[in-house]
Amino acid sequence: MKRSHIIALVIIAVAIAALIGSLSDSSSYASLSEAFEQPGREFHVVGTLDRSQPIVYEPSVNSSLTKFSMVDLNGKKCNVNLAMAKPNDLERSERLVLIGQADADGNFHAKDMLLKCPSKYNEENKVTAGI
Amino acid sequence: MGNSVTYIGEHAWAGELGHLLTILSFAGALLALVSYTLYTQTNEQGWRTVARAAFRVHSLAIIGIVVTLFTMLFNHWFAYDYVWKHSNTEMPLRYIASCFWEGQEGSFLLWTFWTMVLGNILIWKAKSWEGPVVAVFALVQVFLATMLLGIYVFDVRVGSSPFLLIRELPENLGLPWTNLPDYLTMIPQFKDGRGLNPLLQNYWMVIHPPTLFFGFASTFIPFAFAIAGLWTKRYKEWMEPALPYTFFGIAVLGTGILMGGAWAYEALSFGGFWAWDPVENASLVPWLTLVGTGHLLLINKRKDTSIFTAFFLALLTFLLVLYSSFLTRSGVLGDTSVHSFTGEGMLPGLLIFMLTFVMVAVAALNTDKGNRRFYVAISAVIFVLGIALQVYVPAILLFGAVSVSMAVTASRAGEFRRADEEELLSREFWLFIGSLVLLLSAMQIIFSTSMPVFNLLLAPFHTMFESLHDATGWGWAQDLAKAKLAPPVEAKAHYNKWQIPFAFIISMLVAIGQYLRYKKTDKKKFFRELRFSLIGAAAITALCVWWLEYKWVEVNLVALLFATSFAALANAFYIPMVLKGNLTKAGPAIAHTGFALVLLGALISTSRQHEISRNVKGPVLSYLNKDFNDSKEMLLYVGDTVPIGDYFVTYNGKRQDGVNLYYDMDYFAAEPRRFQAGDTVRVRSMLFRAKDDHTAGNIFLVDQPIHWEPLETFTRQELWYARNWSARLPGAKEFALEPLVQLNPRFGNVAEPSTKHWADHDLYTHVRYAKLDTAADGFMPARLYEKNVGDTIVTPTCVILIDSIRTVRDSVTLARLGPDFTVYILNMRVRDLYDDSRWFEAKPVVIYHDDQNVGSKGFDIPELNVKFDLATVKGDHVGLNVSEREFVIMQAIVFPGINILWIGCILMALGTFVAVRQRVRGKRKS
Repeated sequence: MKRSHIIALVIIAVAIAALIGSLSDSSSYASLSEAFEQPGREFHVVGTLDRSQPIVYEPSVNSSLTKFSMVDLNGKKCNVNLAMAKPNDLERSERLVLIGQADADGNFHAKDMLLKCPSKYNEENKVTAGI
Repeated sequence: MGNSVTYIGEHAWAGELGHLLTILSFAGALLALVSYTLYTQTNEQGWRTVARAAFRVHSLAIIGIVVTLFTMLFNHWFAYDYVWKHSNTEMPLRYIASCFWEGQEGSFLLWTFWTMVLGNILIWKAKSWEGPVVAVFALVQVFLATMLLGIYVFDVRVGSSPFLLIRELPENLGLPWTNLPDYLTMIPQFKDGRGLNPLLQNYWMVIHPPTLFFGFASTFIPFAFAIAGLWTKRYKEWMEPALPYTFFGIAVLGTGILMGGAWAYEALSFGGFWAWDPVENASLVPWLTLVGTGHLLLINKRKDTSIFTAFFLALLTFLLVLYSSFLTRSGVLGDTSVHSFTGEGMLPGLLIFMLTFVMVAVAALNTDKGNRRFYVAISAVIFVLGIALQVYVPAILLFGAVSVSMAVTASRAGEFRRADEEELLSREFWLFIGSLVLLLSAMQIIFSTSMPVFNLLLAPFHTMFESLHDATGWGWAQDLAKAKLAPPVEAKAHYNKWQIPFAFIISMLVAIGQYLRYKKTDKKKFFRELRFSLIGAAAITALCVWWLEYKWVEVNLVALLFATSFAALANAFYIPMVLKGNLTKAGPAIAHTGFALVLLGALISTSRQHEISRNVKGPVLSYLNKDFNDSKEMLLYVGDTVPIGDYFVTYNGKRQDGVNLYYDMDYFAAEPRRFQAGDTVRVRSMLFRAKDDHTAGNIFLVDQPIHWEPLETFTRQELWYARNWSARLPGAKEFALEPLVQLNPRFGNVAEPSTKHWADHDLYTHVRYAKLDTAADGFMPARLYEKNVGDTIVTPTCVILIDSIRTVRDSVTLARLGPDFTVYILNMRVRDLYDDSRWFEAKPVVIYHDDQNVGSKGFDIPELNVKFDLATVKGDHVGLNVSEREFVIMQAIVFPGINILWIGCILMALGTFVAVRQRVRGKRKS
């Protein structure tokens, strides 16, 4: 066996291992009901802020805990404990991606959150007023 | 209707000029492509003259486009969509440049501008390569110009133009206001633009994007040379002229990426310089393969042992640039990245752009004419069928499979067959291995970044995987059927796990690479020369392990620590030991030292970064969830001095300067506290008396048996007045930091960090949360509690018992105020919510005149940071306003050794430029 063949084999083996390993590390997007079917497993849950419920952030009690309610894309609601200071533009967000796990008591524990705000990059040009 | 309306104040000529110039740049590039192709095929000088003229017209058109767009931005012509969306009259003029490339169109313009500049340099310098190389340049310019044309191809919009008037936008066409000649003055929205995202109003954003896009554009040079080499069957000769450009690209792209890191670190509140964000990854991956390409060119210049791999990496690098821009611009990243663009209908154009270049690359790789024709024909069929039948995803997958198999077939061709096996201890062998490791590392990153793309590709196979799952019960089939793959939850941990071993191998190769000779290396000499570096690296590693307390589980970090310091030392020693201090030849050694230092600095600062802001109050977060972290940020009341890391910090208050709200923080040295014999201190609810004069140690439990005796009996009052034990007290003021919040009502407020730099570490602080509308008296907005006498109020920080209301009707008060006034005093007891032994009394006062609240005197409890104001008293019913002292939530992170990284960046860029200069000069001499 020539050395080049050995190298090729090693490279292919590492590549396959890296791909499978990366795939197994990947999380998955889920709805709230899917997340609650498997409490304790990490999911990405996409949804919006439930504006009918207050956002509770008491910095003088705990500066790294924000509680609010979210609605997922299927319309299911749930309480969220987010282990972060309240992001400034949470109220104006149009879309949330919560990264975390559900517990058995119906709460979602998010350790991270991505926010999409309407005007950050893509506010559509709406010049219709004035007429 | 038609265009009969004459609009006022639109400056429509600028847009028309812009459109015209865009069409001209497109036509110029197309003509240059055709005539350079004919010149390459026929070698007739006439075609070259035509081609050069066409490319010149194209270049002038692009410069004209750039000038026109800048003119529009500078003059605030808000009738134009691009100007309206990305700028306003309030922003500082120096950030107009950032407006220019904030949008999709502007950043494409930047890219095509740089490619045009490089194309002109090649016309001037490339000699016999001019024809094929600039033809390929013209091809990419045709595509980039299309991206700016914003034309429709079969109902699909390709690209978008920065010269559209708002009234010309598809969604506004036909609206009544577009027929008003004076709509610009009639409609208030046109008075001012939307403005620039505050995140981009930063000097790093003025220089980072042009550098990065210059880097992206320069990855195209090795691609063009590789295609030219395949086209003109000069399979080896293309490497020599491509080499200096490739390393130039490595320097520019590398600098651009690291500038992005510096921007993130200096101006964003991510808390670090690298977050493995998809957008960052997308720029890093082509750099890795470009470095691989550069090193393969070095080998093959000497000995043609890996020609195909060199071709492959040179072509792949630019394809990865296209893939990166597809990822970041098409909107597919959507939910996975904070700062990617959001599509805006760019997907089809970008996809066609990328797939065409894949086809060009694979077709060129097939040196066999029959194979090439077969491949082009079958690709064309797939394209047409895919579009006609609207089966896009299967068509793309099929095309991908055909392309991969044709690339593999091409690699077997005789032209690429290697001469013979290289020596095990030769530079070319290990450079080759290094390039492959870089490729693997790049593939792992791009794979993990591409999860959203896989979801798109998997979607049409839903039923297939579903039935596979039904038939077999395999869980993974169901996962694939759902097509909802998300990026790893712990992105940093995931990438570090894979990239640290790759970085280890690369660092070891960087260390030994310079000492290996081409062809054959003298073993004894090799080990003798590396001896000192090995010993030095071992010493540095041991020192770091001891000083930064690396544990056994972090053995991968320790290994990388060793490898990177070995690489840095070996390359630094190479200059005096082998080059005898000849700095003109030291470019590669300097660059490699820099590269190793970048890795070393990144390793130390990220693995040993620690948050010194600690949240000490309230419920422990890890009780809620084991993954939650309690020490992310801290609360600072205005005026309080609290310990933080090795310092004490005082929050002095905030001040506004323009749009910036600064939070003044003073840092004081922490000095050990001295105790005298007989001092009494409190630890929880116990009292201790000092037995002797002593300086406090760090931990009370250690000090206690030696210096303190517990008091068996003490009164409530003694406990009350005793100070808490603490190890240290604030000393002299050391420095001040001013983290700020940039106020921007449209885009949301943005926090910017403030960092104190030392030689060996940085203290990075930023405001995580602050109420911006605090009252002038230094208190937060009040909360109203309505209760009855005898009730208990629980606020976030304290427990309040309402004992009684006293009505003051003594003669003095009545004489002073008059008989119509009533004064009420509320008697309350207040307890610290988290310490049931800390009790206070509060007596807020309110004055009534004929049932009207006419005045009040609040009651302040500084120890609890609260103030009480009595709002109403009605019989037993009271309304009590409770306000907290103003505070801010701050995060403070220490980054040790981060300067190693910045020094490494500078050395890497400097060394690469020295090396390129040496190559260019050396070539001129010979």
